[in-house]
Amino acid sequence: MRKASALLLALAAVSVALLAATAQAKTKAAKVTTVSLSGWSAGADEDNLLQQVVNTFEKSHPSIKVDYSVINGDYSTAMTARFAAHNPPDIFYVDSSLAPTWAQQGVLQPLDSYIKSSKYNTKAFFPSLLATFKVGGKTYGFPKDWSPLAMEINTAMLSQAKAKAPKTWDQLQSTAQAMATQGVVPGGKPICLSADWARLLPFLFQNRASLATVQSPAATAAVNFYVGLINKGLAATPDKLGSGWCGEALGKGKAAIAFEGNWIMPFMKQTYPTVHYGVFPMVKNKTGGNLAFTVSYSMAKDAKDKQAAWTLLSWLTGPQGMKLWVSKGLALPSRSDVKAIGGRAAFLSAAPYARGWGFPNFSNTYTVMNNSLTAVINGGKTVSQMLAEVAASLKG
Amino acid sequence: MAVATDTEITVPRSLFGFRMREGLTGYTFVVLPMAVFGIFFLYPFAYAIYISFFDWGILGKNHSVGFDNYRELWHDAIFHRAIKNTLLYTVAVVPLEMALGLCVALIVNASIRGKTFFRAAFYFPSLASSVAITTIAVYLLSSDGLLNAIVGGNRSWFSDEKTALWSIVGLNAWTTSGTIMLFYLAALQAIPTDVYEAAAIDGTSGWRTFWRITFPLLRPAHFFVLVVFGVGALKIFDQAFLVSGGTGGPNYATYTAVLYIYLHAFKSFQFGLAAAAGVVLFVVIFIFTLVQRATIGRAEIG
Repeated sequence: MRKASALLLALAAVSVALLAATAQAKTKAAKVTTVSLSGWSAGADEDNLLQQVVNTFEKSHPSIKVDYSVINGDYSTAMTARFAAHNPPDIFYVDSSLAPTWAQQGVLQPLDSYIKSSKYNTKAFFPSLLATFKVGGKTYGFPKDWSPLAMEINTAMLSQAKAKAPKTWDQLQSTAQAMATQGVVPGGKPICLSADWARLLPFLFQNRASLATVQSPAATAAVNFYVGLINKGLAATPDKLGSGWCGEALGKGKAAIAFEGNWIMPFMKQTYPTVHYGVFPMVKNKTGGNLAFTVSYSMAKDAKDKQAAWTLLSWLTGPQGMKLWVSKGLALPSRSDVKAIGGRAAFLSAAPYARGWGFPNFSNTYTVMNNSLTAVINGGKTVSQMLAEVAASLKG
Repeated sequence: MAVATDTEITVPRSLFGFRMREGLTGYTFVVLPMAVFGIFFLYPFAYAIYISFFDWGILGKNHSVGFDNYRELWHDAIFHRAIKNTLLYTVAVVPLEMALGLCVALIVNASIRGKTFFRAAFYFPSLASSVAITTIAVYLLSSDGLLNAIVGGNRSWFSDEKTALWSIVGLNAWTTSGTIMLFYLAALQAIPTDVYEAAAIDGTSGWRTFWRITFPLLRPAHFFVLVVFGVGALKIFDQAFLVSGGTGGPNYATYTAVLYIYLHAFKSFQFGLAAAAGVVLFVVIFIFTLVQRATIGRAEIG
């Protein structure tokens, strides 16, 4: 009996000691918080690069662990379901077109108090990009990168037409005319123009018009120039050139000139590596004008550890995180204190003129815009009818 | 020889009597599917009607708006176009796929060589994923695609507002005709052969035999196919979404009712408006089914 009780006592002592040890270990481990990070996938290259960036962050911030996961499929629908379940990722991508809508729906965390308390320097960001994510005077995210549109021209076809890269609207028309006359683009058209306001809007900016003045004579003239190129036989929409978008038309040799952003470069390198093309700055008219397609890192209103999430957000959009992110040239830096890799001068020159892509009542208005533009190009609607519909939809 | 007398079996009316037990067994088997039906169909259906009376955002209801959502639908030209496109599509695709299914069923019902192979071949498109078929069709019907190589010209069938909806009609009629063939095949084989023998004795020709005897005898199959596939056609979404890239097609040509609901719910986050549109679509489908029942469903086999 005594032996048994002595054994029991020893067992009790050992287990108490073990419990104490694990409890101490647990309190040490409890100091590490996990922040979840999500975004859509733009290809294996981007996903791996972001994982590397995240690993670098974890090394310098041992108390924060980052759980990075990619959301495949329809990003907006997947995020909507998670917002509704009050279980969103802590930090996630927000496209500039969706930012005002999500901010109004109340799913994004305003960041102004964190900016103040951590004295985050926002002056380095390009002002137009920063303004895209400000709604009602509050900041809801910081741009992680951006891309404007530039003009890509098939260099072989350009030299065959003995023309130079155009800089203005008039030069664009005459270069296209020269290409058409000399039959430089067999089975296609000199310019590929999408029936898409995400490509038409810069032309309004270049004529000193905007969405606020969408029914003005300047806006009408800009649309008439764009549609006029198609009516004159100098341009066509991608579907008439057997392509899904203008990048594909350029690659297939069905168009010599396309207006696309930074994303065309990895596409052409992978899919049409033998096509030689040059990247030139967007054309101007009365002034320069361009769109900035940008995505922010934003914080969820339902994020658990908001301070840790802010640390991650501010680092990713700060000079260190951004430098790593743009190092592969997949996107341009949205801060002026981070240098882009070489060969992107044509895109960067658009910085002073680029305005963020997004507007009120985005989804409904964008549907109206593109369906009406298709009708105008096919001749079923007048330009003034389309502009009236767009103006009405922007209000509603 | 003993004569067996009939004895009546009286069913006791006690709680655990035979009849009660039989009823209870029946309900036990049915309760699980009914529970699933209730949770996944009845409850969301009732809840959607509830949502349609609110301004409902991602995080739930914002405020009650009464019938404002329905008023907005009444004045929305895009919704009118969506309903019109959906009805046009249904009126075009249902007779076409029924005719195709019936023709094919008649062919594979006859004793021809390799009819098992043909039955499988005609049914195969129904098995393939509609998303996969539509994606391939976008390439086949593009301006430098296979269809243009055969018929000539260079129009992009899905990007031309005159042909976009009818191209979807053709595509779906082809894929659905396989399933309809199965229903007609079963119904054809249920027709007793002495009817045809009588017709042969009377000396009726092939076409008259079909039109005066076979076709009317298929009435229950017609009714079933018309209702089931008519309702399916009124809910068309996949093709409209994929072919137009989610915009509703060149100048609203492929903008269907369910696409309207999807875009307003998941892209504009106007869940109340989308729910109201869903209720309106339900009413349209219900009226459609009632009309079918009144005109074709009257006579059953007998």
